Amino acid sequence: MITLLVFSLIFAFCMAWMIGANDVANAMGTSVGSKALTLKQAVLLAAIFEFGGAFLVGGGVTDTVRKGIINPDHFMDANLFPQAPAGAATPGPSVKPTLDTGPGLFALGMLCALITAVLWLFLTNRLGIPVSTTHSIVGAIIGFGLAALVPKIGWQAIEWASLGKISIGWVVSPVAGGVLSFIMFVIIRRYILRSPTPLEAVRTLAPYLLGLVIVVVVLSVLVKGLKNFHLEIDLWSAFAAALLVATLAGIFMRMMSRSHPPSERLEDQFFYVEGVFRRLQIVTACYVAFAHGSNDVANAVGPLAGILEVWKTGVVGSTAPIQSIVLAIGGLGIVLGLAMWGYRVIETVGKKITEMTPSRGFCAEFGAATIVLLFSMMKLPISTTQTLVGAVLGVGLARGLASIDMGVIRKIFSAWIIELPLTAAVTATIFLALQFIFT
Amino acid sequence: MKPLSSLFGRSPFGPLVEHAKKVSSCVQLVRPMAEALIAGEYHKMEELQNRISKTEHEADLIKNGIREHLPKQFFLAVSQRDLLHFLHQQDEIADAAEDFAVILTFREMKLHPKMVEMYREFLDKVLATCEQTVSATEELGLLLEASFGGPEADKVLEIIDDVSRKEWEADRLQRKLIKKMFTLEDELGPVNIMILSESFKALDALADASENTANNLRLMILKG
Repeated sequence: MITLLVFSLIFAFCMAWMIGANDVANAMGTSVGSKALTLKQAVLLAAIFEFGGAFLVGGGVTDTVRKGIINPDHFMDANLFPQAPAGAATPGPSVKPTLDTGPGLFALGMLCALITAVLWLFLTNRLGIPVSTTHSIVGAIIGFGLAALVPKIGWQAIEWASLGKISIGWVVSPVAGGVLSFIMFVIIRRYILRSPTPLEAVRTLAPYLLGLVIVVVVLSVLVKGLKNFHLEIDLWSAFAAALLVATLAGIFMRMMSRSHPPSERLEDQFFYVEGVFRRLQIVTACYVAFAHGSNDVANAVGPLAGILEVWKTGVVGSTAPIQSIVLAIGGLGIVLGLAMWGYRVIETVGKKITEMTPSRGFCAEFGAATIVLLFSMMKLPISTTQTLVGAVLGVGLARGLASIDMGVIRKIFSAWIIELPLTAAVTATIFLALQFIFT
Repeated sequence: MKPLSSLFGRSPFGPLVEHAKKVSSCVQLVRPMAEALIAGEYHKMEELQNRISKTEHEADLIKNGIREHLPKQFFLAVSQRDLLHFLHQQDEIADAAEDFAVILTFREMKLHPKMVEMYREFLDKVLATCEQTVSATEELGLLLEASFGGPEADKVLEIIDDVSRKEWEADRLQRKLIKKMFTLEDELGPVNIMILSESFKALDALADASENTANNLRLMILKG
C-alpha cells in the first residue's frame, strides 16, 4: 500500500506539472504578445494566481473528482468487496487496507486513472494535439469504475446523475463563456468603441471593468477560500468586502490614468483605448490563471485525495473536506510545470495571437474566467480551454474579430469527444491488469 | 497545445487595403495619360500605358493572394461573399484604367481643342469618384476596430453615398461630352469618334466600378 501511495504522489504531481506546462500559456499569451508583460512577469503572476486559485477555490471540484464520478460507497459494500485484509478483524485506521479490500481497490483505480491521464497528456503533447486535461481524468476515472464495478453490479456502477451534471457542464461552459464574452464585447462596443469620444469613454468605464473582475475574484476567495484557514464569512459581508476592494482598485486606476492630450483623430483615440485594455488584460490574464487553477487542480489531486483518504482512514467516500495540503501539492505542481516548461509556449501563443486586440482579449478572457470560476464554485469540473474557445467565438460572433478558423474549432471539439472513451478504455485495461497481478 | 493561437485565420482586411492602394496608384497614372493625349505626346503615352498595365497586374497578384487565403471554413466579421464581390469590383477599377490606357495607344490621335475642357471635367469627376472609394476602403482598419458600427461606420457610409453622387455626375458629364463630340463629327471623322467613344466608355467603367466597389463596402458594413 505504501508503494501505491508513493506512486500516487508521483503521478499526481506529474499530472499537475503537465497541467501547468500545457494550459497556462493560453491565459498569459495575449499579455506577453501585446508586450503588456514581460515573460518573467507573466510567469510570476501566473504562478501566484494559479496557486491561489487552486489553493483557495480548488477544493470543491477536487471533492467532486474524488467521489462524485464513481460512487465510493460501492467499494465500502461488504457484499461486493472484502473490507478488511485477509486475517484482520475490522477495517479502520489502525489496519492499513491492502489491495484486495474495497477501499484498496478504489485507491488502485484512482492511481490507474492518474497513470493513464499522465501518459495521455504526454503523448498528445508530443503529437501537438490539443486535449482537455479535465476530460482525460474524468474519462479515466469512469474507466476504472466501469472495470471494477460493472462485473459486480452492472451499469448502475456509474453515477449517472453526477455524470449527467458534469456532461451538461461540458456543453454549457463553452456556450456560457461565449454568451458572456459576447455580452461584454457588445457593452464595450456600444459605450467605448462606437462612442463619438472613445478616449473619454474608456477613461470613464475602465475602472468599472476593473472593479467587476475584482469583485468576482475577491468574492470567490472569501466565500470558498477561507475554509483553508478555518475562517468563515457570511455572504453579505463577503460582498461588501469585495465591493470595497473593487472600489479602491477603481479609484487607484482612475488616479493612474495619465492625462492624455485629447486627439480628435479616431485612430489615435483607438490606439489609446487599446492601450488601456492592454493593462486591463493583465488583470484578466491573472483572472484566467486563477480560475484555471481553481478548476483544473482537481484533475491532478482529486484522485490523490481519494487515495490519501484510504491510506489515512481505511475508508472512502467520507464527508471530510479536502485537506489543504493536497491542494497545495497540486498548486505547486502546476506552478513548477509552468515555470519549467509552460513558459516556452507563452511566447509562441503570444506571437501568433495578434489578431485578438486587447479589447477583444479582455472580453474573451473575462467571459471564460468568470464561467470557469462559477463552475468551480459549483464544484463541477469543466475544460478551461474549451470555455476559452467558446469565449473567443462569442467575440467573433459580435463581429469583434477579423476571422476565425472554424476548421480548427471542429478539430479541437472532435478530439475531445474521442478523449473520453479512449482514456476510459486504457484505464480499465491498466486497472484490470494491475488488479490481476497484485491480488 | 496551443489551440488559442491557431484559432485565428489571417485577416483579409489588411490585404484589402493594400489592394486598394495598388489600384489607386494605377488610377493615378490615368491623368498623366489623358494630359499626354491632349498634348499629343505619343511616346509618353506608350510609356504610361506600360506602367499602368504593370501596376494592374500587381493588383491582380494581391487579389489572388487574398482569394487563396480565404478558405470557406473561415468565419469572418463580414459576409465572405460580399467581401469577394467587393474585391472583384475594386479590381475592375484597375482593369478599367488599363483599358483606357490601352485604347489610347491603338492609334495616334488628337483630342479636338473644343473638347478639351469638357474632357478634363469628365476625367476629374471620374478620378474623384475613384479617390472617394479608395478613401472609404482605407477606413477598413478603423471599421474593424469599431466592429463595423458607430460614428466610424456612419462616416464611411456617408463617403459611400458621396461616391454614388459623384458617379451620377460623371454620367451626366459623359453625356455632355459625347454630345459635344458629335457636334464636331465632321472635323473628327468616324475613326477618331470610335476610339474616343471607347475611351469614354473605359472612363465610365472606371467610375461604375468605383461605385460598385463602394456599394459592396456598404453591404460588408451592414451585414455580418
